[in-house]
Amino acid sequence: MTAVAEGVEAIRDRVRDAARANAAVRIVGQGSWLDAGRPVSAAGTISTREYSGITEYVPGDLTMTARAGTTLGEIRETTAEHGQWLALNPYGVDDGTIGATIATGAAGPLSTFFGRARDLVLGLEFVTGEGVVARGGGRVVKNVAGFDLTRLVTGSWGTLGIVTEVTIRLHARPEADESFAVRLPDSGGLDRVRRTLRQLPFVPYSCEIVNAALAERLLGTSATTALFRIGGNREAVRAQRVALAELGDVREIDASVWDRLRGVEPQQALVFRLSRLPSHIERVWAEANALASRCPGAMLHANPVRGVVRCVIPSASPDCARHVADAFATSTETIRLGERLPMDLWANVSPAATGSDLAERIKRRFDPNGVLNPGILGGVA
Amino acid sequence: VSPPLPAALPASPVVAQIDQQLVDRLIEIVGARRVLHQPSELLTFTADALPSYHKKPSLAVFPGTRDELIAVVRELARRNLPFVPRGSGTGLSGGALADGAVIVGLNRLNRVLSIDAENLLAVVEPGVVNVALTRAVAAHGLHYAPDPSSQAACTIGGNVAENAGGPHCLKYGVTTNHIIALTVLLPDGEIVTLGRADGEADGYDLVGAFVGSEGCFGIALDITVRLSRNPEAIRTLLADFMTLDSAARAVSAIVATGIIPAALEMIDQATIRAVESSIYAAGYPTDAAAALLIEVDGALAGLEVDVATIEALCRDSGARTVRVARDEVERTRLWQGRKKAFGAMGRVSSHLVVQDAVVPRTKLPDVLAKIHRIGKDNRVNVCNVFHAGDGNLHPNITYNAADPDETARVHKAMGEIMTVCVEAGGTITGEHGVGLDKVPYMELIFSPDSLATMCSLREVFDPGRRSNPGKVVPVHACREWHAAPSARRIGSNA
Repeated sequence: MTAVAEGVEAIRDRVRDAARANAAVRIVGQGSWLDAGRPVSAAGTISTREYSGITEYVPGDLTMTARAGTTLGEIRETTAEHGQWLALNPYGVDDGTIGATIATGAAGPLSTFFGRARDLVLGLEFVTGEGVVARGGGRVVKNVAGFDLTRLVTGSWGTLGIVTEVTIRLHARPEADESFAVRLPDSGGLDRVRRTLRQLPFVPYSCEIVNAALAERLLGTSATTALFRIGGNREAVRAQRVALAELGDVREIDASVWDRLRGVEPQQALVFRLSRLPSHIERVWAEANALASRCPGAMLHANPVRGVVRCVIPSASPDCARHVADAFATSTETIRLGERLPMDLWANVSPAATGSDLAERIKRRFDPNGVLNPGILGGVA
Repeated sequence: VSPPLPAALPASPVVAQIDQQLVDRLIEIVGARRVLHQPSELLTFTADALPSYHKKPSLAVFPGTRDELIAVVRELARRNLPFVPRGSGTGLSGGALADGAVIVGLNRLNRVLSIDAENLLAVVEPGVVNVALTRAVAAHGLHYAPDPSSQAACTIGGNVAENAGGPHCLKYGVTTNHIIALTVLLPDGEIVTLGRADGEADGYDLVGAFVGSEGCFGIALDITVRLSRNPEAIRTLLADFMTLDSAARAVSAIVATGIIPAALEMIDQATIRAVESSIYAAGYPTDAAAALLIEVDGALAGLEVDVATIEALCRDSGARTVRVARDEVERTRLWQGRKKAFGAMGRVSSHLVVQDAVVPRTKLPDVLAKIHRIGKDNRVNVCNVFHAGDGNLHPNITYNAADPDETARVHKAMGEIMTVCVEAGGTITGEHGVGLDKVPYMELIFSPDSLATMCSLREVFDPGRRSNPGKVVPVHACREWHAAPSARRIGSNA
């Protein structure tokens, strides 16, 4: 049963009913990630998809307030008319809702420069597991009034409250915004890219190093390739391009590559991230490649600034799942973060939200009856 | 809505019962010189940098090591005593005042524990002074970005508690954007790790929840911060305007271009005159209605283009003169006037109240005009020196606290200014924190349910509400939460 909630009161009443009946609910936006998280055992669903619309946008303030069901596409179109953007491009497509984006703490390639959801959300309204409507933060770009409910709820996957409205920070589009590809040696050379970026006097908007399989899909060239996106005034971008030439031949590419990268995974894919400190990026890349070599068509992309390798295994065949399970069973200092995994693999990724007593106590406090997305983060949550 | 005056503040709920046995036990842990309990010894600790409040702590204790700190807090927990963590006491919200509670001073825990220049990380103890951290990493070409005006004295632990900002947070973000992980001593003595420093973290953003919790969630034992690379080049401009309105319009025009200045500060005439008549004279034109101090930084290539764009926008908005600092000496001088503006006001009058509100940037001209009017109507001297780029206002009023009539007018004006900012869609504090000073205003911007939800988060960290009691959220908002068991809340229409 899907209850399409029409307003925050309707959402609140649905949660109160659920809490009274001790009947768990799954919270969805567009529903595009339904098979992504950990299995949720819930009788009902609360959708925020119909609770949509931009409620406040003053371009001069570079802030926007939108209801949870507003799609990233609508935000993109509206802000583009004023030469602005929400500099957050999470993996997936622009059909996704802002509510789900903030609730899952999603981030994509632009996070290299602009940060993650937590860095761009200024305030939000949410409905707790007791059906209490609360707000954290505000509508201005700087605010320390009260305890930070905004960051607590951002990335909590709906387990502490249903996000119903968010205020986000926007950025003005730069004069120039260009994307480049640099072919890297077959040996990889990720650490060289990392060290080069560490020395250069700028941070690129995005830097993702893609393996040959992913480069083939995105660019039609089967070789390990560094993708860069840089922005600023024309002179700055020109100089940055020259600086990147230190790494190899710089080829200009269409900015659509980033949306293709975001949407590269098929519904059935296994997706997870591996992470360590940036200085260990080569080692993490090697671990990912060892696994990829056993899974045909595995697509990998590494962010040497953040120290993350994202692995997209297109086929969830039993063989691939077994290889991933074997790899996850080995002990390593590498942090594993699941995105889309079959049920039995979740147990082997890093203990997430409920890994600590404190997190469990917060969950119990905000959702004492355990009705919001139970199980999606493992444990009691 | 007319907010209650600070005089209406609820008293701190708990007072520590101090006996000789406790004093002896604390002396055993930290040594006799590090436990202060005579009224004369405690005088320094009855205020912070906001001189309008005074509260007497029952005792002050200064642990010198992590183990001593843990032992002290566990001793206080065993006796169920309230305490207030305190850094350098440079806060501007009364947040570090202890009304009968025990002050736990953290200044002696001032070691930089490790620096990982390659991964841009450092681990520090809470008492490390902000600028000392920057000095410690300078050899690596790095710095710690949040730069509150008190950075020469304030501590990283205090910055974490207040989620401190500073002029350069317009581009680089406030404290919460620079904290990676924390080891926290909860008020009951339990030690927890929040976030992770060895790679990307998943799960609840407990670091985000802790930063800005104003000492109510416990004490950070160590703090992993993100370091920033020093920019290749910096350009600092001073533009002066004959009206406040034209200066405010220049601010919006600059931000709209997509250039993110490292800092974008506004200084009004009253402040300029205070600065120029002090030892911090920076060469600001005293006949201007306002000046903008604008800084851009980053890669050298393209920086002059941004400077030229900003200069043109200032002139288009009505700037009389725009000057670019020629060298580091001139740049330091221009900044000194801004950073020491509060100090300069000390010459003008014996007392100063500093306000800290944020409004949407486009409302700046309107709000500044209203603030001017409020000052006139109440016959008080309002100076504005603030972070214009993010709409973070700091109206200051100098006055003589010995004059009860003037003091009353100052409080009235402050309340009116706050109401104007809230009505403009703003907030009651951008970087100074709620502390004691802003507690009465919390209900202007948050519903009872939101405040109760904040209380419930606090109670996860500090069920006994012993850590910095009486701060941030009005006490009655929490009582309300207690009075309403969850089953009834669900059924009610509240």
